[in-house]
Amino acid sequence: MQKTSLKLTPLNRRRWLFAYLALTPVLAIYIFIRIIPIIQTFRISFYKWDLISKRKPFLGFANYIGLLQDRAFLISLTNTTIIAFGILFFSVPISLLIAVLLSKPRKLSPLYETMYFLPVVTSMVPATLAWKWILDAQYGPLNQFIGYFGFSPQPWLVNPKLAVFSVILLSSWKIIGYNMIIFLVGIRNIPSMYYEAAEIDGASILQQFWNITLPLLKPILLFVSVITVISSYNVYTQVYVLASDAQGSPGYVVRVLVYDMIENGFRYFRMGYASAEAVYLLIIVLILTMIQFTFLRNRS
Amino acid sequence: MSVQQTTLGQVRTRQAGMTFLSRISTEAVLMLGAIIMVMPFLWMLSTAFKTPAEILSWPPRLIPGSPTLDNFATVFTTAPFDRWLLNSLILATTSTVAILLTSAIAGYVLAKFDFPGRYALFMIILATAIVPFEVYMLPLYLSARRLGLINTLPGIIAPFLIMSFGIFFIRQNVIASIPDDLIEAGRIDGASELWIFGRVIMPLLTGPLSALGIFAFMQAWNQFVWPSLITNSKNLYTAEVGLALFQTGFTVNFGAVSAGSVVSVAPILIVFFLLRKQIIEGVALSGLKG
Amino acid sequence: MRKLMLMATLMSLFFTALAQDVEVTVWSGYPELEPFYLHVAEDYMKEHPNVKITVLTQPLRDYEVKITAALPADAAADILEISSSFAGRLVQGELFQPQPQEIADFVNSDAYNNFFSNAASYNGTVYGIPLFRGQGALFYNTEMFKAAGLSGPPTTMDEYVDYANKLTQRDADGNPIVSGWSLRLGGGGSGIAEKFWAIMHQFGGSIVTQTADGGWVNGYNNEAGQKALQLYVNLVNKDKVVTPELKGDAEGFELGTTAMFIRESWVIGDIASKAPDLPYATALLPRGTIALPVNLYVTRDKPEAFDFAQYAVKPEYQVWLLENVGWLPNRQDVSYESALEKIPQLDGFLNVPESQVLFTVPPIGPIDEIQTRLAERLVAAFTNASLVDNPEGIAKVLSDAAKETDDILKREGLLGTP
Repeated sequence: MQKTSLKLTPLNRRRWLFAYLALTPVLAIYIFIRIIPIIQTFRISFYKWDLISKRKPFLGFANYIGLLQDRAFLISLTNTTIIAFGILFFSVPISLLIAVLLSKPRKLSPLYETMYFLPVVTSMVPATLAWKWILDAQYGPLNQFIGYFGFSPQPWLVNPKLAVFSVILLSSWKIIGYNMIIFLVGIRNIPSMYYEAAEIDGASILQQFWNITLPLLKPILLFVSVITVISSYNVYTQVYVLASDAQGSPGYVVRVLVYDMIENGFRYFRMGYASAEAVYLLIIVLILTMIQFTFLRNRS
Repeated sequence: MSVQQTTLGQVRTRQAGMTFLSRISTEAVLMLGAIIMVMPFLWMLSTAFKTPAEILSWPPRLIPGSPTLDNFATVFTTAPFDRWLLNSLILATTSTVAILLTSAIAGYVLAKFDFPGRYALFMIILATAIVPFEVYMLPLYLSARRLGLINTLPGIIAPFLIMSFGIFFIRQNVIASIPDDLIEAGRIDGASELWIFGRVIMPLLTGPLSALGIFAFMQAWNQFVWPSLITNSKNLYTAEVGLALFQTGFTVNFGAVSAGSVVSVAPILIVFFLLRKQIIEGVALSGLKG
Repeated sequence: MRKLMLMATLMSLFFTALAQDVEVTVWSGYPELEPFYLHVAEDYMKEHPNVKITVLTQPLRDYEVKITAALPADAAADILEISSSFAGRLVQGELFQPQPQEIADFVNSDAYNNFFSNAASYNGTVYGIPLFRGQGALFYNTEMFKAAGLSGPPTTMDEYVDYANKLTQRDADGNPIVSGWSLRLGGGGSGIAEKFWAIMHQFGGSIVTQTADGGWVNGYNNEAGQKALQLYVNLVNKDKVVTPELKGDAEGFELGTTAMFIRESWVIGDIASKAPDLPYATALLPRGTIALPVNLYVTRDKPEAFDFAQYAVKPEYQVWLLENVGWLPNRQDVSYESALEKIPQLDGFLNVPESQVLFTVPPIGPIDEIQTRLAERLVAAFTNASLVDNPEGIAKVLSDAAKETDDILKREGLLGTP
C-alpha cells in the first residue's frame, strides 16, 4: 500500500482522478444491480406489496412476524437447513478422505482428479436430470442396485423424506470434486518435514492424519464447510427439476426457501412477504459468515 | 496462505510404511468413488441412445442393446437447442469479460491507490459480497422491469456483470504479488496511469485473471433462476432454462430428455477435457483465496 | 397521370410495409395446446398476411409466475390463455382490456352457456373469450376390468373402493405392481388439493364455499372431508391399492401400471400420442365433476389481438381442439358428433346429464394459496398410517387445515360468516 497523504496535491489529484474515473463505471453497475435491489428488499419487506394492486400499505414488522407462524415457511426453512447441513455432512468428510488419498503420488492421479471434478463443471439442470432417471422409483437403476442387497424399491422422489435425501445426495455428488481440490491444495501446502518427523517417531498414517493434517487443515476445513453450507442455502434448481411432474407442472415435494419466496412473491402476489423471507435468508447467511470470521480471527 | 507456488502435479514422497495391501485398497477406494462420480454421466449417455422400449425394460442395462439416434433427432426437431446454447455462450462470455475487466480495474485501484472514500467503497463491496443473489432477486426483477429489460439479452446478462469476490480476489493478488516500486518506476518514466494498468499490471495478473475467468464462466453458464424469471420467449432461453422446460414435455420419453441433456452438457465437457489442468488449478487458486 | 399512378403504387407499397409490422403474441400454460394455436395461426396468417402470430407455451405453474411478473410490466403477450379462477385477481387489477361490444355480445349470446359467459366476465363486463374447460371423468382400462371380472365402471364411491381392491395386481410379496386406482399422492402443489376436491365432491364437500354475505369459508372441515380423507388413507395404508412409488396418473395409465384414475379430458389426446393402443373407456363420476373454464384475455388495445382471439374459437377450431388435443371446447352451438364418432371415449365428457353437479374453482385471489397449503397437509396425511381407523386423527388434520384456510381468507378480507 502506498503511504501517500490524503492531501490534495497535484500528484494526488492526478491519481485520484484516475481512481475515481476507473471506479465510476464499476460503482454505477454496483448501484444498479446490487445496492438498490438490496435496499429495496429491506424496504418492501415492511409493506403489503403486491405486483398488481396500486395500494401498498405499510405493515411494520407484520410480514416478519407472520412468517414465524407460517407453516410453509417453517417447513421450507427446516428442509433447507437439513439439506444445507446434510450436504456438509456428506460432502466434506468424503472429499477430505479422497483428498488425503490423492495427496500421495499416484500414477492415476490426473484421471482421478478429472473424474471427481466432472460433476463440478456439469451444469445443474442436466446433472439433475441424470439423477432423476437414476432415482426413478420404477425404472431407475438405483432401485435395481439396492435390490441386489435385498432392499425393496424406494420412492426416492415422491416420499418427502426420501426426496430431501435425494437432493442431499445429488448436491453432495456435485460439490465433492470442488471441495476435494481445495483440500488437496491445503494438504499439499503442509510442509513435508512435519510428516518426516512423525515418521521418525513411528506415527501411523492415521495418527499422522489426526495430529498433523487435520489441525493444520482446520482453517481450510472451516472455509470449505461454511462455503458449502452458505451455497446450499440457496438450493432451488435441483428441487425444481427433480420434482417436475408428469403433466409438466413442476410440483414441489421438497419445499425450499427460494421456492417459497418465488411462490409467495409471484404466485400469491405477496412481494413484501417474500422480501421479508429474503431478509431472513440473509440473516442466516450473515450468522454463518460471522462464525467463520470469528474462528479465523481466534486462530491468528 | 499462498497457493501459487504449489501446483497439483507436485507431490511429496512419503510412502515409507505403506504396505502393498493398503496401496491396493486405497486404489480400489479411489477407483470405486471415481466410478460412482461418473456413473450418472454414463447412464445419461446410455439412455440417450436407447429405444423407448429398452428404457422401460427391467432390469435396466448400461449398454444399449440396439443403439438409436432417434432421441437426438427428436431433440433437434422439437427444440431450438442450438439457439439456447448460443444464448448461454453469449451470457457466459459477456459476463466473464465484464467481470474480468471490472475486477481487474477495481481490484488494482483498491489495492494501490489511497484516495478519499476508498475505505467506504471497500466496505460496500465487502458487505454486498455476502448477500446471496436470491435475496435481492425480486427487487432486481422490478428494476429490470422499470428499465425495460424484461425478456432481453441485456436483461439476462445484467446481474452478472460484476462479482464482489472477483474484486477481492484481484485486490489480494495485487497486494501480494505486485510491488509498489514497479508502479512508481512507470510513473517516473512519465507513463500515464492507464498505460501502467494496461501494460504493466494486467500482464502480471494473467494467472489470477484466468482462474477468475474460469470461475465466472462456470457461474454464468450455471445460472437458472434469473434467466427463467426474466425470459418470456423460447428464443431467449439459455441452455439450462430450455432444457428444464424441454424435459417437462417428455416425461414418458426419457430418451429424448437424456439426449437433450447430453447436447446441452457436451460443449462444457469438451472445454473441460481440453483445459482440464488449467480449470482444476484455476478453481483451486480462486477457491482458496475467498 | 403516370405520376399519380406511381404515387399510388408507392403509397400502397408503403402501407403494405407498414401493415406487415403487426405481430400478435399468444401465451399458453398448456404445452399440449401449442399445435392448436399453431394450426389456428397458420390459417389466420393465410387470411391476414400482414399479421404474424407467435405462440409460447410453458408448464402451468411457471406460466402463472410469468404472467404475474410480466403482466404488470406490460411485458406479457397480447393474448393470454388463463383459467377464470386465476384471472379473477388480474381482472380486478385492471390488467386486461374489456372485449369490444361485438365480441361481448357474442360471448353473451347462445353460443355459450351462461356458466361460461359469467366466468369470462367481471361486474357485467366481458373480459375473456371462453375457449375450453378442464373437466374431469373416470378413465379406466377396459382390459384390466375384464380380467378382474368387472363388466362396467363403478357408479358409487363404495364401488370405487371395492373395484380398486379387485383391480390391484400384486407381486409375490404383496406389493402392488398395478394400482387399482391411482390417487394423486404427491407432486404439483395445488393439483393435489384439486384432485382431493374432486373426490370429496362426491361426498358433498368443497374446499371453499360461499356464504350468504358473499364471503368465503372452508367447506371441508365436515363429514364429507373426513370421508374423502379416510378413503385416501385406507387405500394407501390399509388396502395398499396405490403407493407413492408406482407411476400413477396419466403416465402410469399409459404405461399400464394404473387400472383407473380421475383426470381431465386432455388425457385422451395424451394417450393418443403416447400409448395409442391402450384399451380404455371413460365414465361419469357418481355425483359430478370439476369444470374449470379457461378463457382468452387480451392485454393491449390491439384490434388484431381481439380479432385473432375471436378467430380461435370458430366452430371448426373448437372441433379441431377436441379431436386433436382433447381439451373440451366451450361453445354449445357447435356439433361435436364427428369427434365423438372418432373418439368414443369423449362420451364421459360430452354427454353430461342434468343430474350431475359440477363444481368450479372460484376466482378469488388466494384460492391457489389455499389449495397449495392444504395440499401440503394432505400429502403428509395420505401416507400417515396412524390415521387408519382413527377418525379423531383425521378430523384433527382437517380442522387444523381448515383453520389455515380461514386465516388466509381473513387476511385477504374475504372470510364470510356461515
